[in-house]
Amino acid sequence: MTSSSDATLSYSDEQGNATWTRYVREISVAAAYLLLLSILALFTPRYFQAKFAASWVDMAPVLVAAVGMTLVILARHIDISIGSQFAICGVVAGLLARNGLPMPAVALCTIACGAAMGAVNGIFVALMGLPSIVVTLATMVILRESLRWGRQGAFVQDLPRGFQWFGQSQFTGQVSLVATALIILALFAWAMRWLAAGRSVYAVGSDQEAARLAGVRPKRVVFNVFMLMGALTGLAALLGAVRFPNVDPNVGQGLELNVIAAVVVGGVAISGGRGTLVGTLIGVALLGTIGSALVFLDPHHPGERSLGAWERAIQGLIILVAVASDGLGRRKS
Amino acid sequence: MSTLDISPIALPAPRQGRPLVQPQQLILAALLAFEIAIFSLIGSRFLTWDNFFQVQRLNVELGLLALALTPVIVSGGIDLSVGSLMGLSAVLFGMMWRDREMSPWLAGAVTIGVGGLAGLLNATLITRLRIPPLIVTLGSFSLFRGIAEGLTGGYDNFTNFPKSFLFLGQGNIGPMPAQIPILLIAAAGFWVLLHRAAIGRALCAIGFSPEGARHAGIPVERRIGLVYVLSGLMSALAAVIYVSRVGQAKADAGTGYELLAITAVVLGGTSIFGGRGSIIGTLMGLFAIAILQNGLRLADLRPELAGILTGTLLLVAIGLDWRPSSRAMVAQAGAPGSAAEEFDMKNSQVAAICAVILAAALIVVGGNFMLVKSIQQGGGGASFSGTNGSGGGRGPAAGKKVTIAMMPKSMGNAYFIAAQKGAQDAAKELGVELLWDGPTDTDPAKQNEIVDTWITRGGIDVIAVAVENRDGIASALRKARDKGIKVVTYDADTTPDARDFFVNQATPEGIGYTLMDSAAKSMGGKGEFAIITASLTASNMNEWRKNIEARLKEKYPDIKLVDTRPCDDKQDKAFSETNTLLSKYPDVKLIMAICSPAVPGAAEAVKQAGRKDVHVVGLGLPNQNKAYVHEGITDAVILWNTMDLGYLTVLASDALAKGALKPGDASLPGGRIGKIEIKGDNILLGTPFIFNKDNIDKFDF
Repeated sequence: MTSSSDATLSYSDEQGNATWTRYVREISVAAAYLLLLSILALFTPRYFQAKFAASWVDMAPVLVAAVGMTLVILARHIDISIGSQFAICGVVAGLLARNGLPMPAVALCTIACGAAMGAVNGIFVALMGLPSIVVTLATMVILRESLRWGRQGAFVQDLPRGFQWFGQSQFTGQVSLVATALIILALFAWAMRWLAAGRSVYAVGSDQEAARLAGVRPKRVVFNVFMLMGALTGLAALLGAVRFPNVDPNVGQGLELNVIAAVVVGGVAISGGRGTLVGTLIGVALLGTIGSALVFLDPHHPGERSLGAWERAIQGLIILVAVASDGLGRRKS
Repeated sequence: MSTLDISPIALPAPRQGRPLVQPQQLILAALLAFEIAIFSLIGSRFLTWDNFFQVQRLNVELGLLALALTPVIVSGGIDLSVGSLMGLSAVLFGMMWRDREMSPWLAGAVTIGVGGLAGLLNATLITRLRIPPLIVTLGSFSLFRGIAEGLTGGYDNFTNFPKSFLFLGQGNIGPMPAQIPILLIAAAGFWVLLHRAAIGRALCAIGFSPEGARHAGIPVERRIGLVYVLSGLMSALAAVIYVSRVGQAKADAGTGYELLAITAVVLGGTSIFGGRGSIIGTLMGLFAIAILQNGLRLADLRPELAGILTGTLLLVAIGLDWRPSSRAMVAQAGAPGSAAEEFDMKNSQVAAICAVILAAALIVVGGNFMLVKSIQQGGGGASFSGTNGSGGGRGPAAGKKVTIAMMPKSMGNAYFIAAQKGAQDAAKELGVELLWDGPTDTDPAKQNEIVDTWITRGGIDVIAVAVENRDGIASALRKARDKGIKVVTYDADTTPDARDFFVNQATPEGIGYTLMDSAAKSMGGKGEFAIITASLTASNMNEWRKNIEARLKEKYPDIKLVDTRPCDDKQDKAFSETNTLLSKYPDVKLIMAICSPAVPGAAEAVKQAGRKDVHVVGLGLPNQNKAYVHEGITDAVILWNTMDLGYLTVLASDALAKGALKPGDASLPGGRIGKIEIKGDNILLGTPFIFNKDNIDKFDF
């Protein structure tokens, strides 16, 4: 699995190049996901009849946003404004469709709208060198409050028939949603590994100064990453919105932290430069399945508190266990 | 590597070359002065002691968090878990007090201890396992809130704390709110810790370069551990004060506080990269945000502006902190005279901040002019003389307009937008001035804050509130009544002694029973059903659920409620929860959605699942559900006429202010709705209305 292009990765703190050592996180999270699935298969096989496929439709928008977040975190930055961007892009898509734009144009404009918001973050972070966590904290608040001001929480209603599922039937719509998300993931996973542009993200995230000396332009890379993050958020919002015949402007609150959690559980190092999109995929799948799995595994004795109330606690526990095992592994070696 | 000018043993070094106040703090001070000047011009009663202390009281919990976060950020870390830990601490505190029958003070002490332990958990993971603080606290952010939700099932809450305990959060020592000394002591403690103790120097060194600090002989792990433990202790203390102020302990305490606290700290000039920061700056940042929120309210401006301006300020503040490369950072920390250099570098940014301040001022002033203009226009036609019978100190004088301040549960909610429309109609008809303001964020204590601001603002005759937190808001409303302001509640009630009348759109029994009855009708009297609610913590939904379950037990032995799931007031979450329920319980015949975004969400899920045998009933707005009702998925949408609710609330408030409505009255002339019945202190809008295929097209809201 070692190729020369991996030279930019900073694996200096890890020993051995064996596949197992390198992908231990991806493998263990995948194992956890499979374990969860097999528990479900054992106790409530019904899960696979209906919910399994549906849960992937639900996860498609999150997955697309997580692809963007993976790039941002690989470049050693963070973007907590995506929840607000997500809501704005959804509303924009709805309003454009209602004004009679054809769906392809709606899709393009929505993605462009996301890219524009991402570019604003990019200007502050890359060109002005401001800390991304503070910049995106500020834009998160500004965007969310502006949307509230503008929409006052009203749904975008009376959308044309062509809006839901892009005018396709429900089944094709659902399939194309999941397919879009997976294709985006595969495309980026390929690009991150084999294209110079992808490697430069790793390079900048590992050591910005070294990357600069090696001929990469860190500012440009970071700016592009933030713009891509915005564009992908726009696409995610579109995928989220077309599942419904109307648009709810309150969506996306808390999306940023869910996405970051999924990316981190998938093994992307918050200190930049290390991690894969495959890991992100598994992280999204694991955290996205917990909620419905708890409902399914709930033995449900009437009058008792349902297991579902513990969803958030278990998600938190998974994050901590995942990163703690990382830390323990590092101590041993 | 850089050479730090910190002696190996890190004694409090003489502050050579460092100006007492840093440039950013000077600008922040100027900004504060500017805010105060603007708001005392355009806000009513902004510059009063009353208001000053009011702002401080609301600021204490956030202040404690921001204080604790300052050393955390100075040491190069971050703590996202503080708000969640507040929720967990509040729940633990409530459980110990109610279920273990501890005295509140003992429970408080134990809670703070547990907070310290939670901080220790963060600290251990960060220092022992070397995991970045951002991730550790992101995990504990979910974990702490999750445990709080799990322990209470989300809906259990704790109230009726003894008066002596509530004094801590609601009482006054002289003119000063009782919790202020705690904040002052904490601020002094943190100031000494950060600026006058060896530990503070060590934290700066660690934030600047952990490796360098280690070489300088600083016990890096222990110092870092200390700041996270302190942050845990402070979060728990903040939770106790919060519970005492709001009078209620619930799992949602402190939601979103972590980001507000971080904003205050960064605005105060603490570098997010670590190595530099000040407690005084944090306090100033805190006040800048608080004054902005308070001032905008008192000036009757859009509350959304507060968030927008705070975000802009934050961007400008870090813009001022601009260090283009890491080399500048070294220079800054290394050379004593660097402060001056820093200042030179920033002329363009100073210009930028001035521009932003000016722009903000223009928005504020412009908005105010327009508002004054619109009021004058609105007031021009309707000149009436209020026949003011009762009414206390601030009752409307003859010839003065009645002013009604009306609050929805949250801004940006279609349900309340319809109510607002009705309220505006009534206000126009009667020629009263209507203020409309409500919480824009998820902070459950926000309603109290707005009521307090209205009390300070003065000139308000009646406050009408759609209550989110039944017991939580009672203290604020009682205070309003003490000041002679009439209080009306609508949509959801508070405790009876905290208001004059409740405009009851339908009793919880009425709603619960109607929902259960229409569900039973759709189900043919037998089978399984499930409920989608907004959040497991919303008080009135829990009231409805109680009544739904009561009706179920009493009348429908063949129907079984299989599960209840929250949708966070979001359509997409309602969709996926419904989907989960449908597949987990294949025999479910009906989904009952009891918050408005959940009804279309549930219907869409049923539609997409192709389950023609499953019905949906719910509480919602006709417009959002028309399509599903016509498709035959949603059988019935239950609601009162929301516009009428707003209309009637203003009508009743106006009558109350003029003395036309007194306790004991049996009816009220209801304007365009017709005569309205009053039962005790409940003004009854009527029974809930059932929208179905036949009538839904007649309504447009």
